[in-house]
Amino acid sequence: MKLGPKVAAAALVLSASFALTGCGGAANSGSAAGAATALTLGTVQDVRSWDPAQAHVGHVLQPYQAVYDTLILREPDGKLSPMLATDWKYNADNTKLTLDLRTDVTFSDGAKFDAEAAKANVDHFKKANGPQMAQLASVKDVTVVDADTIDFNLSTPDPALEYFLSQAAGLMGSPKALGSEGIKTEPVGSGPYVMDKAASVKDSQTVFTARKDYWNKDLQKYQKLTFKVLTDLTARTNALVSGQVDATILDPKNGRQAEGAKMKLAANEVDWQGLLLLDRDGVKNPALANVKVRQAINYAFDRKTILDQVMLGQGTPTSQPFGKASGAWSEELENYYSYDPAKAKQLLKEASFENGVTLEIPAVPGFETQISVITQQLADVGITLKVGAALTNTYTADIAAQKFTTIYFSLFQGQPTVATDQIVSTKALYNPFKNTTPELEAKIAAVRSGGADAGKLAQEVNKYVVEQAWFAPLFRINQMYYHNSKVNVTPQIQQAVPSVYNYSPAK
Amino acid sequence: MIRFIAKRLGSGLVVLFVVSALTFFLLYISSGSIARNILGDQATAEQVAMKEHELGLDQPLVLRYFAWLADALSGNLGASWFTSEPVANSLATRIPVTMTMVFAAMILIAFCAALIGVIAAVRRGWVDRVVQVGAIIGDSIPGFVIGVILVTVLAIQLGLFPATSTISPESGPDAWLYSMSLPVIALLVNGVTGGAQQIRSAVIKQLERDYVRTLRSRGIGEREILFKHVLRSAAPAGLTVLSLQLIGMLGGVVIIEQIFALPGMGPLAVAATGQSDLPVVMGVVMYTVVVVIVVNLLVDIINGWLNPKVRVS
Repeated sequence: MKLGPKVAAAALVLSASFALTGCGGAANSGSAAGAATALTLGTVQDVRSWDPAQAHVGHVLQPYQAVYDTLILREPDGKLSPMLATDWKYNADNTKLTLDLRTDVTFSDGAKFDAEAAKANVDHFKKANGPQMAQLASVKDVTVVDADTIDFNLSTPDPALEYFLSQAAGLMGSPKALGSEGIKTEPVGSGPYVMDKAASVKDSQTVFTARKDYWNKDLQKYQKLTFKVLTDLTARTNALVSGQVDATILDPKNGRQAEGAKMKLAANEVDWQGLLLLDRDGVKNPALANVKVRQAINYAFDRKTILDQVMLGQGTPTSQPFGKASGAWSEELENYYSYDPAKAKQLLKEASFENGVTLEIPAVPGFETQISVITQQLADVGITLKVGAALTNTYTADIAAQKFTTIYFSLFQGQPTVATDQIVSTKALYNPFKNTTPELEAKIAAVRSGGADAGKLAQEVNKYVVEQAWFAPLFRINQMYYHNSKVNVTPQIQQAVPSVYNYSPAK
Repeated sequence: MIRFIAKRLGSGLVVLFVVSALTFFLLYISSGSIARNILGDQATAEQVAMKEHELGLDQPLVLRYFAWLADALSGNLGASWFTSEPVANSLATRIPVTMTMVFAAMILIAFCAALIGVIAAVRRGWVDRVVQVGAIIGDSIPGFVIGVILVTVLAIQLGLFPATSTISPESGPDAWLYSMSLPVIALLVNGVTGGAQQIRSAVIKQLERDYVRTLRSRGIGEREILFKHVLRSAAPAGLTVLSLQLIGMLGGVVIIEQIFALPGMGPLAVAATGQSDLPVVMGVVMYTVVVVIVVNLLVDIINGWLNPKVRVS
């Protein structure tokens, strides 16, 4: 008998495989997330340092919440509730925030949580040079009023401060451990879980067990909590589909595979994507100084079609950079620039650029498809997009150095002052040419001193940058957070991954 | 022999020094604001300046290199700029994972490739054709594609293996075996097909030599000719191929480890390079150079042991 070469080759490859599978025998089919009291989450990266002052935002905040309580709790819908602080209020001119603190909380090393401990944390946060140090930039100092009361004294009003105290700046570590080497690798907090260091491996998995006598049993829903680090998207998909993790973040394309395996989606709009027309004074590209040119760019895009084709429809077309949850969002700005190539050409003509405009943008890894689609749509109205070298890991420095006049990016949609200082104000990294007008400055100042009305006042800032076409937003995109049927997940506003409190065993 | 080893070790050290200097300068010159990378996009200019001072980035480049070299010579490879974890620690926890996988794959490759290659050379005919076709197919399918196929079929559909690594301190040797099986298979397929092809040619070349004819004419059995004479002479070619495969595997394993979420050198190298975590990148580069030097040295020694002709030359 003569075997065909194809069959024989297949046999060769297979026999090599079976040499090993033979020794494997009956393997466990990945039942890491077995009992209902255990939760395993797939995360994109490991925590760099467990020092609470090194915590970040969004999915880099989640693991910290397992071991550290925050002064204020942010509910899934964004409402701020008591946590370590039972009550808080501003003075009349919003320059002093007084917090009443709980008296029944201890840290996992036995230290007691009190006003001195809270002050020690704030002092540490302000000098530790963490990625979110700016959260307390407006805080001059903290004074201890009595054992369970502290004052935050502000150098300037900051409507986002209460929100920040539910984020990195509000994480409370044991005063005995703050600043030590030990806390970098083993967290010491008052939170619902404690780290099981023996079972944890850096960059692979971090295991937590429920803390005995935790003061708030409502926030402690599992006996064991594991963060499995899965940097690679394919690995995350495989781990979820095969039951190794209960929940993780994917993207629209891999999400299809997860849906095929009956995983559930907890979608949430967190970022916006589109063009940032940075050189609005025309320092390097005079065409961009003309508002009509910038508006023409906005009219050139068929946002809905791009969203459907590139993102499989996972998102919402929009013309405004501020997020729906920020309070600065407004219905009238949502479709301010509808798809109208004729109008775009007309505006270019009125701006005396009917012979064409050339924009230079850097290539952005991960957004190749989007950039090629917008290149085509801009070409249709007479605007040439020249795509240059790709952004590298020094892109923030490059942006600050005014290297780019226009970029395509996906950016987080934060609270009004956070978003303003990210993309609009003269301090913003994404306003490298420091564009501003007295009119805009006045609107921003109103937001800063606006207190509880900050969101509403920020609508004016939003309106200004939309009318002036500072950006050409395309859409808000869905974060594709998937989970299996063993767990209920509530999405958290403005976070790609939910807060750790938002998971509960499915009945 | 000792002089030969000393000479190879000496040249290895020179290579190590040159590579370290080149890597250091290239990395530092090409990476811009590292402090800003560490602090993220919301950091202020003052924060960035503070961080640069903290990391010693305000010192001249040459000074920094010699400071690094002095530390490295005393065994201190520095600490990650992002996590503050000592580089030596990171390497110590990750090298065992990668090396277990690489050596398991290499031993299996050596065994399977030699077996298949020799059979193909001796039997010729259809076996030989299968090996040749297999080599082409094996070379044309990258290891990571094989990895993805293995996960989809054996882990997700059949549930025989975990889809991603389950290695942790709590887990026993069985978890290692289950977690390592698929990645090792993904790594070895190319090696076996390629290696078998090379060994086959080397053995055929030896079988056609005059001394084999002479041995046969004296009535010495085929088995003795093959094992005592032919294989010994064909060994250097096979060893060279295997050592090249091992060195190539250090690159291939990076992607395999990502797919299977194994906490080995791959993810460390990728993350450190992406973030410009230079102390870690330097550590990874030094490890790679050392492995290459050691593997080459070992191959030379084994060749010398197998074949006295090599020692003389």
